Amino acid sequence: MIRIPAKVLIVDDEKDFVEMFSLRLKETGEKVFTAHSGQECLEKLAQENIDVVVLDIKMPGMDGVETLQEIKKKYPIVEVILLTGHGTIETAVDGMKLGAYDYLLKPADAKEMAKKLEGARKRKDEHEDRIRKAEQKALLRRGGNI
Amino acid sequence: MNAIENNHLLLVDDETDFRAPLKKRLGKRGFIILEAGNGDECQKVMADAPVDVVVLDVKMPGMSGIEVLEWIRENYQNTEVILLTGHASASDGVEGIKKGAFDYLTKPVEFEHLVQKIGQAVEKRRREQEKKQEAEFKARMEQQMITTERLASLGTLSTGIAHEIDNPLAIIKESAEYMRILLNKEEHAQLPRKPDFENAIGKIETAIERAKRITHQLLGFVRKPETFFTQTDLKVLVAETVEFAGKEAENKGIKIVRDVEKANGVIWSDPYEIRQVLFNLLTNAIAAVGSDGTITVSLKDTDSRVMFSVEDTGEGIPKENLEKIFEPFFTTKPPGKGTGLGLYVTCGIINRLGGKIDITSRVGKGTRFSVTLPRTHKACESMGDNKNICVDILNRIKGDPAK
Repeated sequence: MIRIPAKVLIVDDEKDFVEMFSLRLKETGEKVFTAHSGQECLEKLAQENIDVVVLDIKMPGMDGVETLQEIKKKYPIVEVILLTGHGTIETAVDGMKLGAYDYLLKPADAKEMAKKLEGARKRKDEHEDRIRKAEQKALLRRGGNI
Repeated sequence: MNAIENNHLLLVDDETDFRAPLKKRLGKRGFIILEAGNGDECQKVMADAPVDVVVLDVKMPGMSGIEVLEWIRENYQNTEVILLTGHASASDGVEGIKKGAFDYLTKPVEFEHLVQKIGQAVEKRRREQEKKQEAEFKARMEQQMITTERLASLGTLSTGIAHEIDNPLAIIKESAEYMRILLNKEEHAQLPRKPDFENAIGKIETAIERAKRITHQLLGFVRKPETFFTQTDLKVLVAETVEFAGKEAENKGIKIVRDVEKANGVIWSDPYEIRQVLFNLLTNAIAAVGSDGTITVSLKDTDSRVMFSVEDTGEGIPKENLEKIFEPFFTTKPPGKGTGLGLYVTCGIINRLGGKIDITSRVGKGTRFSVTLPRTHKACESMGDNKNICVDILNRIKGDPAK
């Protein structure tokens, strides 16, 4: 079965981390974009049709939670996985209440990351599917009324 | 004033005729009377029994009263001495006071006067003992505060470091992971010395896991947000933990004795955290015993507190290490075997729960860790690490343990 690559956006102010993480994800077949700040993340989202954002919570300037809120406001169906240090688990929980798909502790295990990425993408696919079906129904109904 | 009663009074006088009636009359006032006919006898009596006040005749054959006084001052700092001097020799009395006597009376002695003096001496002794106890207590508390503060600042420091290390660790991990993926590609199937690369990457990965464990444990000490207070049965927790650690102990020929049946052991606290404490103490004890020994877990309670202890027959902890065992990263195990965080974390948890931990250890005999926890959560509501200790100190100074 051919796997359609997920479009993943990695957001972290640690440039080396972003580089190595994206290299690795590319090797496993994903399509990867990168950003080093919340602002840049939003810019990338405007340009590309991203499936999943992997977002570091602790960033200078616009932090992960603020970025998450902006993402959910502008691109509600984009899934977000939060990356957090051990001390910011509460923030991760808050983040999930704000609509993040899940969180991972840094340094994250590759297998776990793969599993969550897959899960996030699946949820987005299903979500899109439901939207499509709803739109079709709406169209049909409108058609019937005419 | 009942302070006089049950005080040990030693009469030292060479005249039996003088001692005997005095003994009778003083005995009626509630003193416990001991007698000595001379300095040598006085020394013997004092060696056998504690004496609170000595009534000492100055003029005696053999050792003079002043000599006896000097000897008492040297050997029994806490005993008060009242001198009895001859009518014409007030200078003896003055000299005696200079040498540390409480006071002197001239013979013939007016009985009520003597009783009054003894009462004063007893009172002085009591006050001094209280002062001394208070000073000791204060010193101990200060030491404890210093330790707590030190641990707290070490904690802040190590959390900061742990955070800073997690990020580069994540980079190393990603890089190692990436190398592994590349190495497993078809294009590298024939790579010369491929197993060497794989081996090296494996070592990097193991080391990352090790470092990760340390940073996560460290961060876990400082704050676990979800401390969860509920009705907690220590007997059940002890049973669970012993069962859990029992297999390892059994394999090593270590017997775990439980002395918990007489206790009630139900308190309002966080069972998960207490289980962690018990587990840490028990695994430490097993490590300390090594093989063939006994570990005793006991449980006691009072109205307001619960005490449990884990005692082993292990190697004991040398004095120079005792002060350091609660510090993070202090370990006597070889690198990679112990993180040196077990007791540090334990101490943090107990502070959070409003309790305290004490340790007594004798090299070659064994070690005993005792943990005291409040029965209700009142003392635990404020989670500040230092605050609970302060409350405890205040209560103990007031002599009124938190009910």
